[in-house]
Amino acid sequence: MPVRVVDTSSPSQVSGTTAGNTLPPPCTLLSVGQSFSGTQNVSSLQKDEAWRVNVRIKGCDLDHGYLCGTMEALNVPMADTPVVTFWEGEIVDTKNYTFFTGKWGATAEDDIKHWTKFPSFPPLLSQVEVDGGKSLDLSNYPYIFMRWKEQYFVNVGPDCGLTIAGFYYVCFSCNDGSINGFYYDPNSSPFQKLELKSNNDEKSGFRFSTYELQ
Amino acid sequence: MPTSATSNHPGRPEGLIGRLNSANIPYEAKLKSLRDLKNQIIGNRTKKIAYLKLGAVPSVVSILSSAASAQGCIGDSREFHDSVLIQSAAAIGSFACGLDAGVKAVLDAGAFPLLLTLISHLNEKVADAGARSLKLIYQSKLAPKYDFLQEKNMEFLLSLLNSKNENVTSLGASIITHSCQSTLEQLALSEAGIIKRLVSLLGGSISQKDASLESLAAVIKGNPEVASKFMGPESGRALNLVIELIKDKHPRTRLLACMCLISIRNTSTSYLQDSGIKSTLVLVLLELLGDPGQVGDEAPFVLSSLITEKEDMQKIAFDANVIDNLCENLNSVSFQAKRLQGTFLALGDLCSELECCRDRVLDSKVLNFITEALVHDSAEVRAATCIFLKNASRSVKNLSAGKFMNEAIAVPLVQRLWDSSTPVQVAALGALCNMVVDFTADKSLFMKCGILRHLVVLSKSMESAIRVSAVWALKNLAFHVSSRCKEEILSELTSATLASLISDPEASVQEQALSLTRNLVDGTLNSVNYVIGEDGDLVHAIGKQLQSTSKAEVLIQGMYTLSNVASGNELHKKAVMTQLLTRAGNDSETLMIKSLQSSDSRLRTATVWTLINLTLPNSPDTSTRVTELWSAGIVSQLKNMVNDPCLDVKLRARMALGQLMMFGDALT
Repeated sequence: MPVRVVDTSSPSQVSGTTAGNTLPPPCTLLSVGQSFSGTQNVSSLQKDEAWRVNVRIKGCDLDHGYLCGTMEALNVPMADTPVVTFWEGEIVDTKNYTFFTGKWGATAEDDIKHWTKFPSFPPLLSQVEVDGGKSLDLSNYPYIFMRWKEQYFVNVGPDCGLTIAGFYYVCFSCNDGSINGFYYDPNSSPFQKLELKSNNDEKSGFRFSTYELQ
Repeated sequence: MPTSATSNHPGRPEGLIGRLNSANIPYEAKLKSLRDLKNQIIGNRTKKIAYLKLGAVPSVVSILSSAASAQGCIGDSREFHDSVLIQSAAAIGSFACGLDAGVKAVLDAGAFPLLLTLISHLNEKVADAGARSLKLIYQSKLAPKYDFLQEKNMEFLLSLLNSKNENVTSLGASIITHSCQSTLEQLALSEAGIIKRLVSLLGGSISQKDASLESLAAVIKGNPEVASKFMGPESGRALNLVIELIKDKHPRTRLLACMCLISIRNTSTSYLQDSGIKSTLVLVLLELLGDPGQVGDEAPFVLSSLITEKEDMQKIAFDANVIDNLCENLNSVSFQAKRLQGTFLALGDLCSELECCRDRVLDSKVLNFITEALVHDSAEVRAATCIFLKNASRSVKNLSAGKFMNEAIAVPLVQRLWDSSTPVQVAALGALCNMVVDFTADKSLFMKCGILRHLVVLSKSMESAIRVSAVWALKNLAFHVSSRCKEEILSELTSATLASLISDPEASVQEQALSLTRNLVDGTLNSVNYVIGEDGDLVHAIGKQLQSTSKAEVLIQGMYTLSNVASGNELHKKAVMTQLLTRAGNDSETLMIKSLQSSDSRLRTATVWTLINLTLPNSPDTSTRVTELWSAGIVSQLKNMVNDPCLDVKLRARMALGQLMMFGDALT
């Protein structure tokens, strides 16, 4: 089958006349039902202090740049049980959302500071500085950038002594389904790192479930 | 004496009917009885029903018939006959007003053609009475449909619209509102110059304005060609007239002007799109929602037609606090059917897209009204409630938060699966379909309500709409549930039924059945074992369906099912290999090659995942499978896909190729 050969190592900039899809590509490893496990370093300085974290994707609506799911923190010092939160994500798709957060207490400077911590971001930096990345074509870029904001505690009350005031800058790799993130909350320790790997592994194989709302 | 006794009690129905039917009393007394009857039933539903049961309508129609055939009288006699015509026509109209049983009795008694002849009566008062009566009949759905496509009928209609009598012109407009349904009829009316005539009526009396607005809405509805004629350069004035009427002092005129404008804007994305008119329409309707009468009953339906499937309009309505007003309706209407139905429909439309609307509705405690509305006498109310629930539950956030995990909703909703009305059944299935995605591992609330048994029975329904929805709900019920729950589902459904649903005559049922299977085999090895079993019949049924279909959605779901099965043990993988490497009938290509070469990137992705699962390096028989795949031309096909235009396909193809190449040295 003849296929188009394209160099995808760097994202291109949309020229004024080319229409078509510039949104990040759909990726099966980031679809509903997929789960991820890893850690979150609570302090950027003490590497040992890390919570084990499980994430599951529960909803995905690429047209609206929307993703949501749950995050379970396992060895939280103050809690007797794992703490589960529900989060909603904004996919930086240049249509619904740009790299600039514009809320949750994050300035454009905070945005750049966090995004640049992802090794896959620098090729985008110059354009993001100009317009937040609005004119970038991310349709063939193998990384998907997102912001995840926890909305409520699922299994504990809001007075559990934990905060969900901040949000995560997130970078998903379409290659292997790994996720990296940095928690941002002006009142918490900076650059808490989230590192997750896809729970599909090569022993049992890859499985995909589905549901659809009417 | 009995006769004098009844005449002293004009309110006694039996006596009055007796006098109307009697051949022995003077016509003057009959006229008086007609008047009495008319005065008693006007605006009195109970009296109307009582007289209907006594057979009053045929009596009155018979008097009308005799009087109509006694034309040609002169002097006092003519005047007397005309009075009889007027009073009997008025009584007939009153029976037909707002009561379908009355309309039916009037039509059954043969009043309709008699009333039509009155319209051309020389005495204007008689013509007027006939027109009034017919107008009332035309307010009912039971009124006979008027055939515009017959030339003489169109001429007659134009003569009505051109009449100087206000009621006759309004009758013409009412006939159009009632009978104009098809595109062909709309075009015929437009070509006959009806629009121009209707526009001229916009400057007439209140009833002419109202009748004209309603007919214009009917003639334009869903017909871009007629709408463009209305919006054309000559009719710019007409549009402005309608826009002016949304500020009219009469609430009904405002409502109908909104309806007319919505009819125009819904035909095209380029009409009436400026933000000014959008918010004006919302604000006018918002105010009309509070009307205590018929206008308030109809306003939510008009609002629904404005916002349905239009996210921008829903946002404007949300910002204007429409939700609060609709919710107030629920608090104050004590479940009057029409308003309740409209309110739930409009709330349903508001909740169809926007999460902010769903949040506001749930905060407004609307769910407290659901239990009662789900068992309302009116099927329309029950259906509207289910549609509202379906749209309100279209929210992963609220489902995850357990907002619908409430027995007071789940129990009556599950009962609606056996509603006597099919639209209610379908709507209830739609709502449950969403609500069963409750993101809990055991779905205990719904399983406790017995939903599984109901869904399995409905999945065998003869109605394909019900079958699709039932299997869809089973699929959602099976999403990420515990192994125990999956076993319960399969044991209630049985493998045989599942296989027959996979090969259902309807492609949409096949798609849902395959994705249900896909969910059932996603889990531990035991899950795959339990569903697939040892005989491999189900895998064979899946493969057969994939060979015989050309529908992308069916192929995608089937391929993901095979992919999940291929994550099982060596026997499962072998069964999948057999299906993928089969050539159907005269096909020159295997299912696998055809799927890899599909123009649908989703199918290519699913197929490559299946290949990845079949070639995992640490499975015992992978090397044998790689040999088979190599011989089947898979490697050269995959090499063509490493630069696939779809990133997901490209990355997976590279991964699959990497796995195949690990064994490649032995094969080259």
